[in-house]
Amino acid sequence: MDETPLTRLKSAKTKRFDSARPDAVAKVHDSGHLTARERIANLLDPETAVEFGSIAAIDTEGNWVPEYGGVDFIGQVNNQPVIASSSDYTDKGGGYGGGRLEHLIALSQQHRWPMVLFVDGGGSRARHPRTGLGHTELSGQFGRYTHFDGMAQLSGWVPTIAIVAGPSFAGHASIAGFSDFVIATKGSAIGMGGPPMVEAALGLSLTPNELAGAEMHDKLGGIDLLVDSDAEAIKAAKRYLSYFEDNASGELPERSLSNELPTTAHEEDHIFSIIRSLIDAGSYFELRPSFATTVTTGLARVNGKTIGLLANNSFIRNGEIDESAATKTARFVELCDSYEFPILSILDSIGAVTSWAEGATGVIATEPGLSRSHTRALMAHQHRTVPLISIQIGKAGGFSGHIMCGSPTGHTSPLASFAWPNAEIGSIDGFSATRNMNAFDDVIEPAETRKNIANLLNLLPSQSERRSLISEKKHSVDTW
Amino acid sequence: MDDKSRQEIIDARKLAQEGSINARNLIRSISDTGSFDEYGALATSDDDSDGNYYSDGLICGIASVNDKSVAIAAYDRGIHNGTQTDRNMRKLAKMIYLAQKNRWPFIIFLEGDGARRDEPLLPPPIINYTRARWDVLEGLTELSGWVPTISIVTGDSHDGHAAIAFLTDLVIATKGSSIGSINATRVTSRSSEELANRGEVDVIADDTVDAIRTCKSLLSLWYESVNEFEEPDEAANISSIVPPNRRRQYDMRKVINAFADKNSTLEVGSRWGSSMVTAFAKLYGRSVGIIANQPMSARAGAIDSAAADKASRFIECCDSYGFPLISFIDNPGYMVGPEAEAEGMARHHARPLAALHHRNVPLYSVQIRKAYGLGPYAMSGFGTSRHVPDLRLAWPSVESAGMSLEGAAYLVKRREIKAASTPQEAREIRDLYAEEMRDASSGLNAGRTFSFDDIILPEETRPRIARHLIRTPRRIPSRKVRPIDPK
Repeated sequence: MDETPLTRLKSAKTKRFDSARPDAVAKVHDSGHLTARERIANLLDPETAVEFGSIAAIDTEGNWVPEYGGVDFIGQVNNQPVIASSSDYTDKGGGYGGGRLEHLIALSQQHRWPMVLFVDGGGSRARHPRTGLGHTELSGQFGRYTHFDGMAQLSGWVPTIAIVAGPSFAGHASIAGFSDFVIATKGSAIGMGGPPMVEAALGLSLTPNELAGAEMHDKLGGIDLLVDSDAEAIKAAKRYLSYFEDNASGELPERSLSNELPTTAHEEDHIFSIIRSLIDAGSYFELRPSFATTVTTGLARVNGKTIGLLANNSFIRNGEIDESAATKTARFVELCDSYEFPILSILDSIGAVTSWAEGATGVIATEPGLSRSHTRALMAHQHRTVPLISIQIGKAGGFSGHIMCGSPTGHTSPLASFAWPNAEIGSIDGFSATRNMNAFDDVIEPAETRKNIANLLNLLPSQSERRSLISEKKHSVDTW
Repeated sequence: MDDKSRQEIIDARKLAQEGSINARNLIRSISDTGSFDEYGALATSDDDSDGNYYSDGLICGIASVNDKSVAIAAYDRGIHNGTQTDRNMRKLAKMIYLAQKNRWPFIIFLEGDGARRDEPLLPPPIINYTRARWDVLEGLTELSGWVPTISIVTGDSHDGHAAIAFLTDLVIATKGSSIGSINATRVTSRSSEELANRGEVDVIADDTVDAIRTCKSLLSLWYESVNEFEEPDEAANISSIVPPNRRRQYDMRKVINAFADKNSTLEVGSRWGSSMVTAFAKLYGRSVGIIANQPMSARAGAIDSAAADKASRFIECCDSYGFPLISFIDNPGYMVGPEAEAEGMARHHARPLAALHHRNVPLYSVQIRKAYGLGPYAMSGFGTSRHVPDLRLAWPSVESAGMSLEGAAYLVKRREIKAASTPQEAREIRDLYAEEMRDASSGLNAGRTFSFDDIILPEETRPRIARHLIRTPRRIPSRKVRPIDPK
């Protein structure tokens, strides 16, 4: 067959597909992951994808050179526009998608299309410095954002989701670091300096996972969700995105609350069973579940409407709020405010504490006290415009009310402050002491709580209506 | 007006003036003579209606410091342990209101035990009361990013007092003071020094005189009130600070002191994140903020999570104050290794990048020696992106690379290095190529590639940046852009 420009293009493009590279595919599968193309195919609705950046260059003989560093697509997830990009680790440690990330970030910024980015890779490849840093040369002062400052600009404006399924270091890890929601698969790694660099700098020979493992980040707050596999990660990304639309109708809770009041938290499941009784069945999507566990944060639905849910877990250390829990709270409030998720805050905490390593043992102990991490939560609440509904179901000691709900009388005070009749009031510390019954809008029975929340949510414009009223981003979601 | 009521007022005021001596002295020592106009001198808490405790333990009002207005308040531990009541919190809230409306800096001397325990606590909101203590906390969050807020911790400060401190931009604490919590059974306090080691306190002062001096220097920076300036003593010797042997370290503070106006630097956060130096300073009388890597530190200038947090908060602060930023760069990049990763490097590293991206003030960067990997980005924003430094300078000793040059050389020449017959030979192959790359990114070559706007001699740094600064009048945003992240 004669070669025509069309056949040359076809043959170049064919080389990109997994079917043309069985060895590379086998390598990916052996490592327990999906190939870049399989990931995107799993993520996007069928027949919705438009590919960007399939051809990297044209060589001196006039042949099209396919791009192997990764793939970039625009498509849909559950009928909603999404930009999806995946690096391809099999190709020299992965590039930044198909090399069109800057353009896609510009589109995301212009159209408010969420980004889902698979970012395993080792950052920019080592080059001779005379050629510069390569990947930043596409942009300029009057050009598009690079994928670094682009991520900073997107933060708080469009949802950004990073999936780390494999080792992710340097520039790739940076993209994850900038993202609102970071999912990592077990065995993955996210770090600023990869094993070769650590070997060169510190003389330590470590695997990526030993160096900066996803399991470690899961405990210490570096990621939002740890999952078993690429497929689970994709499912989680889709689930996260689904909360950006309200459902027309909700489902009843899994269990209904009897009018028995929870006295103290004797069971591990305590707060979660209360949560389940207030929200639609199966709708609690917990974020950072293994980090700073005295506070639980997540997305949920009440009668189909998305809310951000924030609750003290008093089963663990009486729901005390240490620096990490305060930071987790503050960032979550920033996230909900950015994307207009009304917040439901369930208060039951002994109060704010600071953490200190004890003497020689180094064991961390806490003591009542405040830090700048705690005031960060106050700052986040006072600058949010999204409404918050609070329910005090137990204690509200040492500033916990402020940290969880913001000021009871500030201009962003709760839309409604409810208490169950067993709420402990008049604690002896300074600020919380003034929380007496008059501080509540109403004292209600557990069984009527869901109805009250749902009725109030019905009065509010939908999250997408609220988002469409906002023409520029309010603020970033802090990366930490 | 009858004589009796006139006399009553005069007597009460005299009593008030004789009370709360500590707090009054603090305000007297910071403000210009005769400039203090007190608010609520006659206020007493309901428990003290006999008038023995006028002012209710909190002296507050408006005053001038070097002819510039401030809203100011001071707790007096002599009155009910400096505790907070509904009434004195209303006084404080009034000061915050005035600071907000008039854009006056807010200064508070802190010492006390949080809320007054035996006070009948009033629920907000009651019609004829303002919202008292609530207005203080939310008021301070409102001030953040709008006017400078400075707290001076002069003694043991608990609970509500700690909350006030940690909501202000700058926390100055005297040696021997502490911050913590107190309840009926237990006091849990930490020394201010301990707290400074983790970035909760910005400046440790020797005593109140020293603390007041620090506070006044920040105020003079905000008001840019002193236009005369003196050349720094070491200006002529700046090039001798950095040793010619690039493996030998030096103290970045010396570079800063030889660059900024004489006696103008005010370092904040010196006790934590030690691989990053953050300092307010003046240049030709203009107020600036300086961020700088510290080669002479445990992590040799590598940016770890603490350093990243410290820089990012300082950048936000300078941005809201309208202080142009100057960045002195000499770092091997972000800190690597398992310890740094466990500190959350992958998330914290992005904070200075985001802060630089969202800034409105000009940025001038000076690369002294190395900047590897994302190191230059962390200090000046992204190389060729939308918010570039207004002036990107380097000294001839500059070198740049995606990673340490020896490391990069190792990766590029790995095959040859592994094939080498002796370790000596392997090292030579590596170092030869590293030197070649160093040469390509150094001195004249760095200028040729327009990696920098100019390669300058060290002694040219000060006038070069000052000339640029003079062309860019200070722009303080006319509305609040964002609060300053407390941490």
